[in-house]
Amino acid sequence: MSDVDRSSLPIRRERSGGVVNRTLDGSEPDWNLIGHPTAPDGAPNVLVVLIDDAGFGNPSTFGGPIQTPNYTRMAEGGLKYNRFHVTALCSPTRAALLTGRNSHHVGFGSVGEFAGGFPGYCATLPRDCAPLPRILRDNGYSTAAFGKWHLTPDGQQGPAGPFDRWPNGWGFDYFYGFLGGGASQWDPCLAENQKIIGTPDGYYDEDDPYYFPDAMADHTLEWLHGVRGQDAHKPFFIYFSTGCSHAPHHVSKEWADKYKGMFDQGWDELREETFARQKELGVIPADAELTPRDDAFPAWDSLPDNLKTFYARQMEVYAGYSENADANVGRVIDAIDELGELDNTLILWIWGDNGASMEGTITGSFNELTMQNGIPLSDEMQLQLSERYGGLDQWGAPIMDPHYSAAWAWAGNTPFQWGKQVGSHLGGTRNPMVAHWPDQVTDQGGLRDQFTHIIDLAPTILDIAGIPVPDTVDGIEQEPMHGTTFATSLTDADAPEHRTQQYFETVGNRAMYKDGWWLAVKTERIPWVLTPEAIGPYAPGVWDPDKDPVELYYLPDDFSQANDLAAEHPEKVAELKELFWQEAERYRVLPLLATLSTFFGMVPPIPADTTFEFRGDVQNVMSGMIPRIYNRSYSITAELVVPDGGAEGVIVAEADHLGGFSLYVKDGKLTHTYSMMGVFIFRQVAEENLPSGEVTVRMEFAADGATPATGGEVTLYIDDRPVGKGRMEHTVPVRFSGYAGMDIGRDNGGVVDPSYEAEKPFAFTGTVNKVVFDIKPHLSAQDELDLHAVAHQGDAAHGLAG
Amino acid sequence: MNIDDETIDVLIGGYLSSTAAHEDYEAVLNCGARVWGAALIDKNLEGELSVEEADHTVAEGAAGLAGVGLVVGLFAPPLLAATAIGAALGAAGGAALHKKLGAGIGDKAGATIPIGGAGLIVAYPRSAAEKVEPAVTRAVQKVVGEAEGHHVHALKGALADAQAKMAEGTS
Repeated sequence: MSDVDRSSLPIRRERSGGVVNRTLDGSEPDWNLIGHPTAPDGAPNVLVVLIDDAGFGNPSTFGGPIQTPNYTRMAEGGLKYNRFHVTALCSPTRAALLTGRNSHHVGFGSVGEFAGGFPGYCATLPRDCAPLPRILRDNGYSTAAFGKWHLTPDGQQGPAGPFDRWPNGWGFDYFYGFLGGGASQWDPCLAENQKIIGTPDGYYDEDDPYYFPDAMADHTLEWLHGVRGQDAHKPFFIYFSTGCSHAPHHVSKEWADKYKGMFDQGWDELREETFARQKELGVIPADAELTPRDDAFPAWDSLPDNLKTFYARQMEVYAGYSENADANVGRVIDAIDELGELDNTLILWIWGDNGASMEGTITGSFNELTMQNGIPLSDEMQLQLSERYGGLDQWGAPIMDPHYSAAWAWAGNTPFQWGKQVGSHLGGTRNPMVAHWPDQVTDQGGLRDQFTHIIDLAPTILDIAGIPVPDTVDGIEQEPMHGTTFATSLTDADAPEHRTQQYFETVGNRAMYKDGWWLAVKTERIPWVLTPEAIGPYAPGVWDPDKDPVELYYLPDDFSQANDLAAEHPEKVAELKELFWQEAERYRVLPLLATLSTFFGMVPPIPADTTFEFRGDVQNVMSGMIPRIYNRSYSITAELVVPDGGAEGVIVAEADHLGGFSLYVKDGKLTHTYSMMGVFIFRQVAEENLPSGEVTVRMEFAADGATPATGGEVTLYIDDRPVGKGRMEHTVPVRFSGYAGMDIGRDNGGVVDPSYEAEKPFAFTGTVNKVVFDIKPHLSAQDELDLHAVAHQGDAAHGLAG
Repeated sequence: MNIDDETIDVLIGGYLSSTAAHEDYEAVLNCGARVWGAALIDKNLEGELSVEEADHTVAEGAAGLAGVGLVVGLFAPPLLAATAIGAALGAAGGAALHKKLGAGIGDKAGATIPIGGAGLIVAYPRSAAEKVEPAVTRAVQKVVGEAEGHHVHALKGALADAQAKMAEGTS
């Protein structure tokens, strides 16, 4: 296969070279017919590791406080890249990595959940931009992805697909992980290939509980051993994309306690300590400066003393969580080593798909979804809510979905300013990368400082594998990749800069890099704030982006962006501003701030369906696909068959105790529990027992009005008779959960109501024939439109935390 | 000092966790000041209500808080603001303080105190305010009501004043 035409995929099978007669008499077989494409000779295995929501100053390999012995092992046997760049958001980085093209150009200017109406923001891969795994697969690689995906639109994560937006559709032979932007590490709602498989069985094993990072490594090894058992030579491409260190920060107490007391000094001192270690290690230049703290982050010393323990614990858990990820990547590397293939495996390990995440707000949160639902909670409230769910020792346990303070994220991005979402600054866009390939890298432990970008990975991998970027795929002419190979730098420390120009844009924060100069234009909006006051200045007709304040840095002399030269070089500012607009147009970045378009009335058509029917045993309906019951009146009706003697169990449940609802029967009583993000919990119980036989039960919620988080009255019915009622003062305005699913006839994973925790998943002991959600219309068309917009604004908010 | 001799203050604190409420309850009882009484009420995640109280009025020669005979007006918590949960907690706390009035008052408290929440109510002479109020450090909402007169009327008035402030979201 070495001389096959790889420019057109799939590779055309050769015509039979045998002889075919009317009978076997004289016929000659051609055994090549049953062959398959093989990779070019010498094509190495490839392992790409992508850590989530982490900063340049997190891993000890780059001077951070988090112990990363496996990352350091790879760096000492390979190379550190200290000027490697990503986009400032999850999905865009992943799309760029897997396509070799700028993220907006392939529809991922924002996250997978947010599928907007502009080409750069539709979250749908163009067919003329075939991704890397597809190219590798068609060229004879075994391909597999494990962990976080985050490239499938919200409403397409069910059995109806379409599956070209799922990992298999992107060219992975095998996928095990989750489709969204984040997941519980204890009870994720999992996908395997083209099926949502939901809560892992191991979740119910109290002696040996399931933990997703461990399972990721287990499944990677299982897949790898299977591939090698079948074919000892076929190269593999593994995309190992951890859920860590994205919120919720889930890890066992043992891992978190390794860092007990290590962050009591606070984020200001932590930055100074990290900065000193970075210089000592030489991962930043000796003349680099530590950028100052922005007023958006409080000084550690300004915090009340009684809350410092609370804040410190947040970082202890994050650190333990991250070190665990390093350990599990180490297991995969060890497995490759045991196969004797480490020398011929190119490992590219990126610590962070964007800078560390600031969506925990200043306070951090016991439940990361509180920010996305716009629930204002002080740090004392957050502490008390964590106490409600077991206290700081349980921060990291399944009972909470924690995120840390934005100031810890800022410290994790040392020595830079800002972090995730801030595409204008290096805190959001510059992350560590380690390259390891003993067969080729001779400068072991070396440092590379060429300006490199995530779009360069795919061209580099193809270059090394000897595989061309195809001209056509499935008959569709392909666009060129935007990235360029940095393969030369693997073997030559003095390799010339392969990338001299690159734009950056995330949520309106933008930058233009050219020949060392970096123009930074940050919007005034603080990344974790989405209030009308914060959004208003960016409304159409109000915002003039050319009037945004600009900063200018010369990175060869200013590694950390500490010295703004804009005032001294107005001509360079003007040049780069103009260049940005050119690049923005070329790569589908426009219209700027399309990510927030729903805040300005640009919403998709209101769905026509108002009734949603689930028959039988439907389970694991993804959180973004449940009926749209938020901020309105609705009813849930269930047709049941109750055996003589009664029944109990869950009729329908969404998500868990930190946001969700459950309609269930316990002690003979129909009960409805509603958790408003674990802050408010409402429960209504029927005053009479559920009868046997064919029974119809109904829960009706009558909203007070067409307002976000509206309160309202709940009434429970049995066969149209009211049997119970209650009031819910507040309801969830945006989204119950980022990952937990809805189930009919049971409550998979973490339960909504702890009263049936011991019986989980508390499957209904009668029969649930069907469950019907009826969505009531709002009184006016304007209300309908306004609340529809709120729903999509919620998607955008959820996306920013992606 | 007799309970009738001085202005009575009633402090109501609202909490999102029983742990925080209990810390303040203990802090008040150990603050070194004389208090007429304190009550802590919380509802766990399964909806079970528990009450803890200290009644010092009998020792002062009064009829005891149980004999005050006032009826606490329970009211629904205001909408939206997370801090407003204190309003409900305050009302429930008041109910707890007088739970000996008769069966059913616990049910009323149970109907208003949020699941997972807790409340603290403290009655004390004005002269103790400078020690009592700083001891309450963890309430997410805290109000103080006041009233003068015979202890029955004073307690009743102070409680009503505190409840009104809590309902207004004044802290």
